[in-house]
Amino acid sequence: MKLFKNTLDPMIALTLIAVLDIFLFLLVGAWTVGGGETMITGLVAELFMGDELARIPFWNLVFKPDAGYWKIYISLGMLFGAIVGAVLSKEFYLRLPRRLSEWVMITAGGLLMGFGIRLAFVCNVSTFFGLTPQMNLGGYLAISGILAGAWVGSWIYKKILEG
Amino acid sequence: MSVVAECILAFIFGSVVGLLVQRSRFCNTAALRDAMLFKTYRNTKPLLIAMMILTFGFTLFLTFGEGKAMHFDVGLNQVVGLFLFGIGMVLAGACTVSTWVKAGEGNVGAMWALLFTFVGMFLFSLLWSANYWPPAPASMTGEPNFEALQFGFINARTLQDKTGIPAVAFGMVQIFLLGLIYRAILKKEQAQQLQHDLAAAKHQAKSAGTGNS
Repeated sequence: MKLFKNTLDPMIALTLIAVLDIFLFLLVGAWTVGGGETMITGLVAELFMGDELARIPFWNLVFKPDAGYWKIYISLGMLFGAIVGAVLSKEFYLRLPRRLSEWVMITAGGLLMGFGIRLAFVCNVSTFFGLTPQMNLGGYLAISGILAGAWVGSWIYKKILEG
Repeated sequence: MSVVAECILAFIFGSVVGLLVQRSRFCNTAALRDAMLFKTYRNTKPLLIAMMILTFGFTLFLTFGEGKAMHFDVGLNQVVGLFLFGIGMVLAGACTVSTWVKAGEGNVGAMWALLFTFVGMFLFSLLWSANYWPPAPASMTGEPNFEALQFGFINARTLQDKTGIPAVAFGMVQIFLLGLIYRAILKKEQAQQLQHDLAAAKHQAKSAGTGNS
């Protein structure tokens, strides 16, 4: 199948995603990732901590661990779809970051992303594919933040690449 | 819709998105980073197109009161949170979508980024439990609460309710503005192409010249 031989034009991919996202918006809500990830965090923490977790107010008042939260399954679906795509196109293989600096950057980056998503109540997906197209004020606030952040991040990235 | 149906639907949507993103190598991080760092727009253009389609679809349905819009108060925490997120995604080389997709390709770095995204979320949950900011959804009123640096809830539908102008009309204005950004990128690419062609022509003329002598 051609789809698994050649790279798909991102313009086609994103057009399809946008149309599907409109259907999802009508049925359950627009595409988002951060909320599902938070719920996964809560469920995993509950696995380790048991009832102790409920003593942290956040997991009581903002996100009560619930495996029936639909947003979780968007994330799991993306993982599944990517595995299928990668295996069928023979692009699945283990890739390890080589340098220590990469590991450090990825660790710091992951922490900043997780912390930022929760502080903002939104991730990049809900910013670009949910809030802003709904003309929610939060979308414009989030875009101004992410543009400034990406600029600072690019500056640091460049320094490290050159350094 | 039942909980199970919602989850199945979300899984199907996610799977298609994961497949399309994996096959197209689309990346939201690259859409911003490459435009800023390398002045290339392979990922920026499809992002803008998707936003235009979505703006039309969402505001059209919001006009008729359809669709499930995100509903919560917004404030300065969106700016600061996404600022931190923006730095993080460039450092990690992946955003929320590409961490899942690259993890599915066997990229251990992406799995590591994902793991620490969860750790970051858990750390925030501890901080939140100490100061209760930003306000929990249950205490949101939809009105500005400047003491908590919250501006309330505003979207295309609330604009329609306030002004009587259909939400989709506001959507059209946004599509036009996104279109202007898109056009500016096309012009920039044309200028880059022209410069590239010029340099290539010069190089060719030079090598032709040396060939003759």
